[in-house]
Amino acid sequence: MRDIADGRADNSTLVKPRMKVAMGIKHRRSNLLPYLLVLPILLYEGVFIISPIVQGIYGSFTSLELASNKPQVWVGLANYARMFDDPEFWQSLKVTLIFTSLVIIIALGAGLLTALLFNRPFRFRPAARALLMIPWAFPEVPVVMIFIWILNPQFGVINVLARLIPGVNENPQWLQVPELAMAWVVLIASWKAFPFYSLVMLAALQSVSQELYDAAKVDGANTFQLFRNITMPGIATTLELLVVLASIFSLKQFSIIFLMTGGGPVGATETIVMRIYNAAFRFYDYSYAAAMGVAGFLISLIIAIVFIILQARRAKEYA
Amino acid sequence: MTTSALLSPKSKLRQTIGSVLLYLAIIFVTLVTIFPVYWMIVATLQPNKYTLHYPPPLFPQEIIFSQFGELFGRHPVANWLKNSFLIAAMSMLLCTLLTVMGAYALSSLRWRGRSLFGLFLLVTQMLPEVLVLIPLYIMYSRLELLNQLPTLAVVDVAFALPVCIWILKGVFDSVPTEVLDAALVDGCSELSTAWRIVLPLSTPGLVAVAVVAFFAGWNEYLYASIMLGSTELMPASVGLTTLKGLSGVQVEQYMAAGLVFSILPVLFYLSMQRYIISGLTAGAVKG
Repeated sequence: MRDIADGRADNSTLVKPRMKVAMGIKHRRSNLLPYLLVLPILLYEGVFIISPIVQGIYGSFTSLELASNKPQVWVGLANYARMFDDPEFWQSLKVTLIFTSLVIIIALGAGLLTALLFNRPFRFRPAARALLMIPWAFPEVPVVMIFIWILNPQFGVINVLARLIPGVNENPQWLQVPELAMAWVVLIASWKAFPFYSLVMLAALQSVSQELYDAAKVDGANTFQLFRNITMPGIATTLELLVVLASIFSLKQFSIIFLMTGGGPVGATETIVMRIYNAAFRFYDYSYAAAMGVAGFLISLIIAIVFIILQARRAKEYA
Repeated sequence: MTTSALLSPKSKLRQTIGSVLLYLAIIFVTLVTIFPVYWMIVATLQPNKYTLHYPPPLFPQEIIFSQFGELFGRHPVANWLKNSFLIAAMSMLLCTLLTVMGAYALSSLRWRGRSLFGLFLLVTQMLPEVLVLIPLYIMYSRLELLNQLPTLAVVDVAFALPVCIWILKGVFDSVPTEVLDAALVDGCSELSTAWRIVLPLSTPGLVAVAVVAFFAGWNEYLYASIMLGSTELMPASVGLTTLKGLSGVQVEQYMAAGLVFSILPVLFYLSMQRYIISGLTAGAVKG
């Protein structure tokens, strides 16, 4: 790499006279350059993300049927009125809240525990760490394939474990019982996500000064006291950020829930994102889906703002 | 070693118990983490008479490789993988180009609106894909852009771009300013500094961006399932989910397909994890 850089640097001495001429107008150009670089990106994200969101907001005030050739009519707040009266919408918000909170607790909890384990030196640590990251690197579609197989009521290996529980005499219908289905989408989403949180927390743990621990040990602090008074304050800002990131990631979660349960049974795992999808692509209820989309947009915007505030605070702390 | 020699026998015993517990905990965590993947490999490699048996054997009883040939021979898996590859390669090229421009502006140049641009990227990164899907689908169907691989790749880029820019910004930030200043003093313009100094010094970061963009296209399921209707154009992420419904697909072929699909993303993500994590946290945390 260095060789390439050096080679290029040699080249630049050859073309130096031309560069010097360019320098004369550098001042004017450098003011324009960042905008020229950024403009295509803004246009790109504008066309593919911002304009669809704006169209969605507009669409939520209209009635649109794609299949028929009826024109799009302005219906004011009708879609929103329907949304506020729709128990399934409120149910989906409740499911989203439960799903998100459980994934945050389980994935961050498991992430913290494994980070604490992996923060100690042990043999084969690099190998174990690489294995730990595999769920995170695995694409979602095959993850769902594996778990549907593991949870198969007839041959699934999970039944071997379940049968050890006293009172369980037959293989449960894992994805047909509402509570079990919810538990499994939470567990699978957490299994996939916790290595990421664990690695981030491990980096935070390793930045906590060892001298603090040594000093506290000399003063006779026990393991729990060390954890509460040194480790936790040391990683608190990272934990905060991760809670917000985890809520964004689980709010966005689509493929795992869609392919595991499709939101069922009877709406038990239908998060807001699943509800929007089902309204649009199963019931072709585009305008209503757009109204719920605006609700989802506001929720993610609020979380994004919290993230930005936390990050700004963190940046100040480090400055 | 020397400290343990100084300790009393009682605390030595405690230390031994502690390290045994540590190893047990680590073994438990590692097992939970990789068992599902192990189970997929077992279901792939052994003949299904063992897999379709309850209780299933925990270790493969016999290993066969004929399922791979049957899978590719009887099902259009090769075509799916080709489609996935095309989508991924197009995403990679476009995304890497745009990322270099954005990251250079965000990292190395000083301009008004820079932090606003950073915030803009952060917010777009956090929006659920479903929100954009409906209006985009309507727009695509009106413009007759559905059912084309390039128009799908272009959408995948829109979602991968913010993360990629954050990744490369972090890498560009780590190029020492002395090097940049020296280049400017030597008469390099800002663009040629980028081209001659910053980019060559950031090769690993560029590779990471290419990996993220490639597998964003490769792994993507939601948009591909909605925007590509024809079976000819189906990528592997969507194809895998239809495989189960096809008649005559054996368990070991199904699992083999999942494994073939996953092997590249797992290898590349693992080797680039440090960069990807710093990008996913928008530079808040260096992994």
